[in-house]
Amino acid sequence: MALKKLSKEKMGEVLGELSKFRLVAPAKSDEVVVFKQIGDPQEAFLDYGNSTVPPKKFAFPQTETLFRFMVGSPELKEKNVEEEGTTVIFGLRPCDARAMAIVDKLFSWDFDDPYYLKRRELTTLVGMACVEPPSVNCFCTSLQGSPFGTEGLDMLLTDMGDYYLVQSLTEKGEKLAETLSSQLEEAPAGDEKKAEEMARESEGRIRRSISTAGIPEKLPGLWENELWKRVSAACLGCGICTFLCPTCHCFDIQDEVDEGGEGRRCRMWDSCMFEEYTLHASGHNPRPTRRERTRNRINHKYSYYPNRFGVIACVGCGRCINLCPVNIDILDILDQVVDAQ
Amino acid sequence: MAEKTDFEPNIVAFLCNWCSYAGADLAGTSRIQYPSNVRVIRVMCSGRVNPLFVMNALQQGADGVLISGCHPGDCHYMQGNYYARRRFNLMRNFLEYLGVEPQRVRMSWVSASEGAKWKEVIEEVVNGVKEVGPMDQFKRRQLNW
Amino acid sequence: MVDVNKLREKAKEVVSRDDVRLLIGYRPGTYGFRARPAFVQGPDEADELIFTPACVNNLATYITLEEKLPVPRGQEPDLRKVAVMVKGCDSRALVQQMEEKAYDRDRILVLGIPCTGVVDMAKVEAKFPGVLQRGEIALEGDRFVLSFNGSKEEVPREELVADKCLRCRYPTPLVYDELLDEAVERFADDDYSDIAELEKRAAAEKWAYWEEKFSRCIRCYSCRNVCPMCYCEDCVLDRLQPQWMRRSVDISENTAYHVSRAYHLAGRCIQCGECQRVCPVDIPLMELNRKFYKDVEELYDYEPGTSVENPPLLSTFKVDDREDFIL
Repeated sequence: MALKKLSKEKMGEVLGELSKFRLVAPAKSDEVVVFKQIGDPQEAFLDYGNSTVPPKKFAFPQTETLFRFMVGSPELKEKNVEEEGTTVIFGLRPCDARAMAIVDKLFSWDFDDPYYLKRRELTTLVGMACVEPPSVNCFCTSLQGSPFGTEGLDMLLTDMGDYYLVQSLTEKGEKLAETLSSQLEEAPAGDEKKAEEMARESEGRIRRSISTAGIPEKLPGLWENELWKRVSAACLGCGICTFLCPTCHCFDIQDEVDEGGEGRRCRMWDSCMFEEYTLHASGHNPRPTRRERTRNRINHKYSYYPNRFGVIACVGCGRCINLCPVNIDILDILDQVVDAQ
Repeated sequence: MAEKTDFEPNIVAFLCNWCSYAGADLAGTSRIQYPSNVRVIRVMCSGRVNPLFVMNALQQGADGVLISGCHPGDCHYMQGNYYARRRFNLMRNFLEYLGVEPQRVRMSWVSASEGAKWKEVIEEVVNGVKEVGPMDQFKRRQLNW
Repeated sequence: MVDVNKLREKAKEVVSRDDVRLLIGYRPGTYGFRARPAFVQGPDEADELIFTPACVNNLATYITLEEKLPVPRGQEPDLRKVAVMVKGCDSRALVQQMEEKAYDRDRILVLGIPCTGVVDMAKVEAKFPGVLQRGEIALEGDRFVLSFNGSKEEVPREELVADKCLRCRYPTPLVYDELLDEAVERFADDDYSDIAELEKRAAAEKWAYWEEKFSRCIRCYSCRNVCPMCYCEDCVLDRLQPQWMRRSVDISENTAYHVSRAYHLAGRCIQCGECQRVCPVDIPLMELNRKFYKDVEELYDYEPGTSVENPPLLSTFKVDDREDFIL
């Protein structure tokens, strides 16, 4: 694993070089930081905490056309993901990259999702280590993550003050480093150690935590526990916690047909917090209130997913805590799960 | 600018069954020539027109929308056009606030005997929309997948 | 500011009543300066209750948000009252809901809290970032006093107060069974200066402004769900047949969504500002609602949520309503 150095003045050049791919980087829209496809390297905003919306939509778009059709005609025109080209997601945080690695398991489980997997294959993830934990509600270290974590990433950049330390982690990362060989220099000796120290320091500054041991096993037994009523009482049933979650991956499939009969079948993000998420055609809803929906959200992340894939579907980015309109706090819920009899 | 003069707008017109539709019909039977840009949708009353109809028309490619009903006091259902008047005054101001030119969302009173007025109204609406060009603010676009 | 002990005493008294099922109030949040809604069912739970300038939520939402499952055979529905703590703006939501006959006045018990303004939590957290331990905010004179991590900071009120409070015409609740403190005089008025500049811009500039905002929308529907006036049992957005607004997220559908949401609040929005507060991507939703609010006031001399006797704006008319825009 070769360590390289990238001086900060060359960042513009690097982004320019990467613009020959579909380049996705954090950018400001008013005061909100979101990941978007950028044309001009000037648009990239790298001095950020974490983006409001995770970059998951570049692997799993919020609305994605699967195929087009003409009403009355048996012919389908299928989507070709390859047309989107090679994508580089630049500057994402280690938790969001780890989330993609977690979601990969779902999309390659009983059915290999061609759209998602092809796009992932064509995507290179260049992460930016959190020298300072971006939010007071970060808790990645409780979930085997780290502000300097490398899982899911192809390349990791660490801000060393005047320059970035560049670490290629996978074959894709090596290839990208080759592309950027004229901008990268040899890293100073001892930087690896220094980075490790910075990682430990940053981990030490993460202030919220939960011990997840035993939670996946305990949750099924709490199905009828009165805690669900309590923690969901204030829930509004909006989609903030799930849409902003880097690991939430539920989708709905709908057909959209224009006048003239031309239509498309698309899949779009759905949220288990919405009332019509499990609404049956008969009118019956097996999750009739927000109590069941909240229970499902926690169970899905902390029980069903680890039982099936061996990993908790939460990376501790803290978005759902930061932005919940009524201060429903997943760590508070988990504390109550731990305490419940 | 040449583009704009060639531009033939699509106008969706919601006409009430009792006055405006009959007025437009009269214009036809009287052989009054008026611009052919207008696509008429007949509703029972101007009060039936939901603001969603206007939004949807603009989304689906209309460059302008016209709602037309009976003159105040003449509504077949006594009051429908009064409600419509309130509703559309607000709608119009609001769309203007979003950046949709006020020429695009119009309302008129045309009675069953006003074939000639119908022609004037349509000319006014079509010219107004021609002035501001095609509606492209929030038209449904075909996504590139 | 309402005395917290008095508040808790009153709450205990209220939830002990036989005809009260539940009291909705505020309790401290899980971190920092946050406060969150509390649902008190017994007198022993009332000791958590607080009221501070951090209590930003509009609790009137919960009156209509409550999900009612079918009552099992042989059981009677629980028809006892719900008690709710309201600030001035929140009380207007109750008035508007009752004006629309959403429920009967005797179904709720209103504890009014004269309000001197709440904080904008985003401003607080920007000024004092990284506060994890529970902190408190109080208003002393014209300054907010924030106590956290063992220290105290004073900040002028204007710096942290929510924008909506700077133009609040009704700080004292308009409907209540009991007022928990002395009524507060109106300390501000609304001149719509915040939207005046945008109104004057050219059409293309206006659209450029809104296009940027709307294209950020992720359609989480928090603005709809948090709104006390959005209480339709079957929202038009969730309908599939006919599907007026598609679920796909692009500028066209997002605009249709925001126009519909704002229009449904025309003559109904009571300016509590919750929609804008909760928006995760900071869309200035109040600028949409306030355009309607302003027009409604100027054109029809109508102010929503001020009297239960008022007929709802769009289901009434005057013969001499303006019609200079009609061809």
